[in-house]
Amino acid sequence: MTSYFVRRFLLIVPTFIGVTVLVFVLTRLVPGGPIERMLQEAAMAGGDFAEATSGYDGLGGSALSDDQIAELEAYYGFDKPVLVSYVEWLGKVLVLDLGTSTRYNDPVWDTIKERFPISIFYGVATLILTYGVCIPLGIVKAIRHKTAFDNVSSALVFFGYAIPNYVVGIGLLALFAAHLEWFPLGGFVSDDFYALSGFGKVVDVLWHATLPLLAYTAGSFAVMTMLMKNSLMDNLAAEYVRTAIAKGMNFRRAVFNHALRNSLIPIATSFGSNISLILTGSFLIEKIFNIDGFGLLGFESLVERDYPVVMGILVISALLFLIGNILSDICVALVDPRVRFGSGESAQ
Amino acid sequence: MAALLRVEELSVGFDTEDGFADVVDHVSFDLEAGETLGLVGESGCGKSVTALSIMGLLPKPAGRIHGGDILFKDESLPRIPPDRMRAIRGNRIAMIFQEPMTALNPVQRVGHQLAETFSLHEPGLSTETVTRRSLGLLEQVGIPAPEQRLLEYPHQLSGGMRQRVMIAMALASGPDILIADEPTTALDVTIQAQILELLRDLQRDTGMAIIFITHDLGVIAELCSRVVVMYAGRIAEQAPIGPLFTHPLHPYTRGLLASIPRLDDEPKTLLTTIPGSVPGIEELPSGCRFVNRCPFAVERCHGQAPVIDAPAPGRKVACHRWREVNAGDAEARST
Repeated sequence: MTSYFVRRFLLIVPTFIGVTVLVFVLTRLVPGGPIERMLQEAAMAGGDFAEATSGYDGLGGSALSDDQIAELEAYYGFDKPVLVSYVEWLGKVLVLDLGTSTRYNDPVWDTIKERFPISIFYGVATLILTYGVCIPLGIVKAIRHKTAFDNVSSALVFFGYAIPNYVVGIGLLALFAAHLEWFPLGGFVSDDFYALSGFGKVVDVLWHATLPLLAYTAGSFAVMTMLMKNSLMDNLAAEYVRTAIAKGMNFRRAVFNHALRNSLIPIATSFGSNISLILTGSFLIEKIFNIDGFGLLGFESLVERDYPVVMGILVISALLFLIGNILSDICVALVDPRVRFGSGESAQ
Repeated sequence: MAALLRVEELSVGFDTEDGFADVVDHVSFDLEAGETLGLVGESGCGKSVTALSIMGLLPKPAGRIHGGDILFKDESLPRIPPDRMRAIRGNRIAMIFQEPMTALNPVQRVGHQLAETFSLHEPGLSTETVTRRSLGLLEQVGIPAPEQRLLEYPHQLSGGMRQRVMIAMALASGPDILIADEPTTALDVTIQAQILELLRDLQRDTGMAIIFITHDLGVIAELCSRVVVMYAGRIAEQAPIGPLFTHPLHPYTRGLLASIPRLDDEPKTLLTTIPGSVPGIEELPSGCRFVNRCPFAVERCHGQAPVIDAPAPGRKVACHRWREVNAGDAEARST
């Protein structure tokens, strides 16, 4: 099994190179970029709109001379063939240098790092809410299959699932923040956050987080709740549960000691990918609630052609995704003794 | 002597999409301490449902006992509180199932599942005692290298070994009755023979009674002292093993015995069968349930369910015409 995981870790290297090459080449192929943006800004600063529009062509008659443009191209590495600059970029990444943001002129790593607290907070909170609600709810629904509770909760989770989360966000914002004024209109913390006491800070964060969290999670209950419910029902009908009861065990203990662990196996298959939660954040929800998270950063860096940031986010998310998959496999191997990766001994 | 277990006029039904269906209808039999009773019949005749009713393991809420009684040492099993039933189930009455492949929890070690039985019925045993007794049980059921097996998962064992583990679990608290529901059906023939031999040895050593459920008359002949033949939810015939095979009274039993291929049969000829098939649960005939397949059926058999006759001690038969059927037999023998 160890050799299997070593092989999986080694496979990260070619996958990572494939992903980054693809995106790196794309950033060269699509029109627009830091130089065009700079030309535009220079033209705008000159106040001459006619020149600004010609600046879009990136050629003669612009605010910058050809020499200056060539200098800029050299500065950004656009003067070299794409694969050469890719190798240069990769060399820097290997020594943990993600480059400098063309928009903020700050190191990319610092720009990304700033968003971590917000994204980790929402990621962990969403994770706890989703697992904390779905697993118990699925268990109760499985045991009370076809009762009123089961039917009503199914209707609710599917209702949440059917509505796009940004619509939920706008609805919550309009009702509870704008109309009833129970919650703030947006932001991660209040303006006077640093003046608050320790407990006041916690309350302030939670107060701001309530509506965005509801918007994030409203749609995420359905899948895992139904997965948990169906998986537990399958296992409750399994013969080994009957064996346990035939031994003299009561139903509750048979459910928790025998059926539950088996029914968690399908849920474990996706558990490792939670490592990516530090990069979570839907740009629409962040936009609606005015939260400075990863969704917004990723989206804005794309719109602004801030390619070092785009590539920086890609590096981190690709790595986390690849490692998350391996972690999921490890989780499955931990909960299911029949799973033996890579050796001749096969599961039945 | 009072029987260890009395099943009296037991009727069990299930809620189905088309209403309530009777699956077991007025079934009665006794089980004496230490004997092996065979419960034989085709698939769907109600033999497994009878066993599950004794264990209190009918699927809920669909299945329920709606008539009759089951008395274990004069306690009515369907009427005692669930706590009391749990103290009997797995302790005084144990059961093994058809599919050893799925009857064990795939993610728990064999030793853990074995130890669980002790913790349920003898809480407070030390870990060493439990391990020692688990090893003893595995040895008793003929599992080689038991120390190693305790640490293994079910998928690491063969089908025969798994059934031996199931038997070991059932034996853990020295039950008075072992219900074996087709325990050898899923195993290949050589393993089948080993398991039957094991059950016979265990019974000799422990003195427990066995209810052996099967559709295989050959297995019955090897193991049982008495046989209950069931057909479509009712008892057709009940007899000690010898007379059942030499002088079957019910036309169904006769058909079953005639269907067993014999070594001295002409090779390459058609096998004898009982014509027709078991009626579905919705289309049970109103009189005798075997009427549509019975070569001896007359008018009376269609309209009226047969009463149970007791032609000899220990023998019962539910047929209007068993005398005529067997008189014909006697004539055939005398001519």
